[in-house]
Amino acid sequence: MSILSLDLFLSALRLATPIAFVALGETFSELSGVINVGVEGTALAGALVTAIVAYFTGSPTLALLSALAAGAFLGLLHAAWAVYLRADHVVSGVAINLLVTGGALFSTRILWGWRGTSPSAATMNPWIFVGLCVLLVGLAQIYIFRTPWGLRLRVVGEHPHAADTAGINVNRIRLLYTVLNGVLCGLAGSFLFNNLGRFTDGMVGGRGFIGIAAMVVGNYRPLPSLAAAYFFGLVDALQMRLQAYIPSQFSIILPYLLTVVVLAGFLGRANVPKALGKPYLKEGR
Amino acid sequence: MRLARELGLVFASLALAFGVGALVAQLSGLSPSAVYRELVRGAFGDQYRFFQTLTQATPIIFTSLSFLIAFRAGLFNIGAEGQLYMGAFFGAWAGFTFVLPPYLHTVVALLVGALVGAVWGFIPGWLRARRGTNEFVSTMMLSYVAIYFTSWLVSPRGPYHGTQWANQTVRILSSAELPRFVRGMQLHWGLAIAGLLSLLLWYFLFRTPRGYEMRAVGQNPRAAQYAGIDVPRTMILALTLAGALAGLGGAAEVLGTHRRFIEFFSPGYGWDGIAGGLIARAHPLAVIPAAILIGALRAGGMGMDRAGVAPADFASVLQGIVIFFVVAPELFRLFRRIRRERRVLVHSQP
Repeated sequence: MSILSLDLFLSALRLATPIAFVALGETFSELSGVINVGVEGTALAGALVTAIVAYFTGSPTLALLSALAAGAFLGLLHAAWAVYLRADHVVSGVAINLLVTGGALFSTRILWGWRGTSPSAATMNPWIFVGLCVLLVGLAQIYIFRTPWGLRLRVVGEHPHAADTAGINVNRIRLLYTVLNGVLCGLAGSFLFNNLGRFTDGMVGGRGFIGIAAMVVGNYRPLPSLAAAYFFGLVDALQMRLQAYIPSQFSIILPYLLTVVVLAGFLGRANVPKALGKPYLKEGR
Repeated sequence: MRLARELGLVFASLALAFGVGALVAQLSGLSPSAVYRELVRGAFGDQYRFFQTLTQATPIIFTSLSFLIAFRAGLFNIGAEGQLYMGAFFGAWAGFTFVLPPYLHTVVALLVGALVGAVWGFIPGWLRARRGTNEFVSTMMLSYVAIYFTSWLVSPRGPYHGTQWANQTVRILSSAELPRFVRGMQLHWGLAIAGLLSLLLWYFLFRTPRGYEMRAVGQNPRAAQYAGIDVPRTMILALTLAGALAGLGGAAEVLGTHRRFIEFFSPGYGWDGIAGGLIARAHPLAVIPAAILIGALRAGGMGMDRAGVAPADFASVLQGIVIFFVVAPELFRLFRRIRRERRVLVHSQP
């Protein structure tokens, strides 16, 4: 069988989807000024909650909605810490990752007696997510650059004082988009469960971080980030087929290594929001 | 005064975290009192258990210092896990390849581990300083690379597949062993090295010009640049040292505890280092009690599991909650404000 086939591109589309969801979510929150490294853990939580709800209720739709709620909750948690309690954004995100990783091992043990895996449960067609992803990215591109709400979002990340003067509640906007980021990561996680049919604790496997990389490469724009996500998805799909020819460890390494290489080769950081990672204080301390 | 306030903050965070942990245990159908009793017994119950706690704490001191030195320079090294793996494998490699007199062999093997770890920290450091690459993405990605690369080295198709029954190297020569304190216990001299390094790092950060530069870059890179500090070089140095510390920790773990490199041997010491560095509020000396706390959670978690009161992973959940409360000093300021407002409210009532 040849490596390059239609099948390869179809699986690339699927593998790119969680990366693209994370990239889109991170685009929203970073444009508002909030870095969220917790996307990795948030996606894992989305997958876990999908597995739990799908297993106990048998309803994939309810499972999806629960995953979105879990993502929103973690986004809210991150916003509370990063925006309102002024914790370091990266630190709070790392804390989310550690909490969810521990929580996933703990809850699978409690619920099923297995460490880090779930039994298989009802799924929905993963292609729904693939289509939804393209649709959302297209809408987001218009929303961010062609609507007054998108302008407000960008002003908050670029010049929060100006936004405040114009009567925009900076912290509330940041909260809103951080929660949206969480919801999109929950969607990414839910896709991962529906794609595989069960939960494993390594199923996100760095795709959250690769999503951030896709956003950087896409220069904080939804459509170019989607293209970058497709590239990473293609690498992932190729990697799985290469396992027949080279030691599996080397093919597993490939996407991680390429992410570093692509990030290193990429120098167009023109669009980094100026207030990224900085808490907003009204008094202007 | 400042120390008292910091300590108070940490203990208040811990108390709050353990309270939330009790709630989580209750909601999961576990008995919080039994969980905490077994956790403490498993970590500090007798000499053997306490030594297990210290054994777990040893690599965590190294990785905490690794996280901390990058953090002080304003960088995030979340790839200590991979640097630990590189140091561990190459430390073991030096341990079974070189033929040297005892002690000298140990020292050389430790240095080889530190050196390879340093290379694994230098790469993201260089990329950050010269290419502006997000170091938290690149250290994370390189961590995966290290874990799977070392796994290949000891796999059946790799060059260092040492035993038939498991993916691991051959045993290191006895001349390269890091001695243990007590016969029959895993606790080894790595703990003393880790303690010494905490002191050294404190001295470096707070008593040398280079350390001062590093902290200046961490506080405000632009101001540091105006003051004539070479910011890119300082960033590279910080991540290289971070890699060396984690690599040294991996080498010590292999030479002292396992005596050979085993694939996937670390239960997440690199991640624990992030927790350790944050709980210590990025102070090199505070890293020792912080790492012992996390070691106690690990050892106590296993005890809890053996006693059948809760899965060992409950300890990881607890650790996650602890970090959340430790990293938000504003939370306590908020509490104080609410209390004050309530007091005002009470007094103003007729």
